[in-house]
Amino acid sequence: MIDVEENRLIPCPICNAVNIDRGNKNICRRCGSAIYQHKNFITEKSWAYLITAIIAYIPANLYPMLITNKFGTHQSSTILGGVVHLWENGSYPIAMVIFFASIVVPLLKFFILFYLLISVKYPFGKDKKVDKHKLYYITEVIGPWSMIDVFVVAILTALIHLSNISIVAGTAATAFAISVFFTLLSAHAFDETLIRENIKDSK
Amino acid sequence: MNKLVIIIAMKIKNEDDLDNYIICHKCFTLHKIIPIKDGYMASCNECGAMLYRYDTKLVDKSLALSISGLIFFILANFFPIVKIEILGHDQFITISKTIFTLIDSGFYIVGILCMFLIFIFPLMILIIDIILFTLLKLRRSKKFTKTLLVLLAHILPWSMPDIFLISILVALVKLIGYVQIDMGMAFYALIIFVLIDIYIVKKVKISELWILRENMILKRSKN
Repeated sequence: MIDVEENRLIPCPICNAVNIDRGNKNICRRCGSAIYQHKNFITEKSWAYLITAIIAYIPANLYPMLITNKFGTHQSSTILGGVVHLWENGSYPIAMVIFFASIVVPLLKFFILFYLLISVKYPFGKDKKVDKHKLYYITEVIGPWSMIDVFVVAILTALIHLSNISIVAGTAATAFAISVFFTLLSAHAFDETLIRENIKDSK
Repeated sequence: MNKLVIIIAMKIKNEDDLDNYIICHKCFTLHKIIPIKDGYMASCNECGAMLYRYDTKLVDKSLALSISGLIFFILANFFPIVKIEILGHDQFITISKTIFTLIDSGFYIVGILCMFLIFIFPLMILIIDIILFTLLKLRRSKKFTKTLLVLLAHILPWSMPDIFLISILVALVKLIGYVQIDMGMAFYALIIFVLIDIYIVKKVKISELWILRENMILKRSKN
């Protein structure tokens, strides 16, 4: 017989099997993956990815996303410029989709991850009013949708490349793709068991 | 509202007894697995997320769906998705053309990222699912199913054909008014593929597959 406290049970991030938390190095008994529990280094990886993503997000907004060559004239538009252009042309739903996917979602993810990373490590975020599991779940669900803008640019580039009219992707496409990629990595590197430990400590 | 969390010391015989428990993937509440009727599902009483299902037909259903998913995926890749007419020229795109145009025009990072997100990972998931469900149906290969399930868990969050489908629609709406648009056959194949993909990726949870594997393979080897 083993005595085990209920709050020492942790799920495996890969296969969701219930495991006993043994402190430093936990190996899942079902799938053999490591369940990270090194107290001091746990958030560093997630921080590093998040900061990379935020840095990449700056050029993504400054450089042009799409360059349209029409009969010798070049016209380039940034992410925000594209949204404004769509809005002025009257396609409100698409303007809103692009605005939501490439501006609201990345910023929301940055803020949520920032808040989660601070709140699990430093005492001032230890309130129980905010449902942190729900916040994390939201970032996981909405995260991939910011790729819409990159895919749209890829499709337009592939569709329209005549000698007179062509659409070329701009520098921002690379920066934006990198930014989204690293936010996704950051969210995956975040260890959800820290949230529960954080709540437990504050009791 | 503050909930009082009571810390209970449980007594279990050995670690394998922990298989009778499940932690909700959404809100981290511990639940004990109780037997339920065929075709029913158990959900978390804190947040309502699905915990596990008892569905005797799940393996057959998923195997059939992943095979048809593969057929539609191949169709979606071989035929043009959209044809447009611009200044008297016909232009079309396929999934591979989208990726290679990006790489040709010097956007290696975006091109390779797109290649993985919309081509390699969806294809890998389908192939893994087909092998996995076939093995589960034959009730064999304890070790290989484990490897497949771990691999599947790693690539699941990186497959985005559904987002690609929405992107096609957004791109087309941007072009309305300038060009004449014809939907290709692959577009409809892609829609069906995405619907199947949503079922086998989002609705069938990884933890469910592990429970299935235990019931189908491990229990038989004990008898």
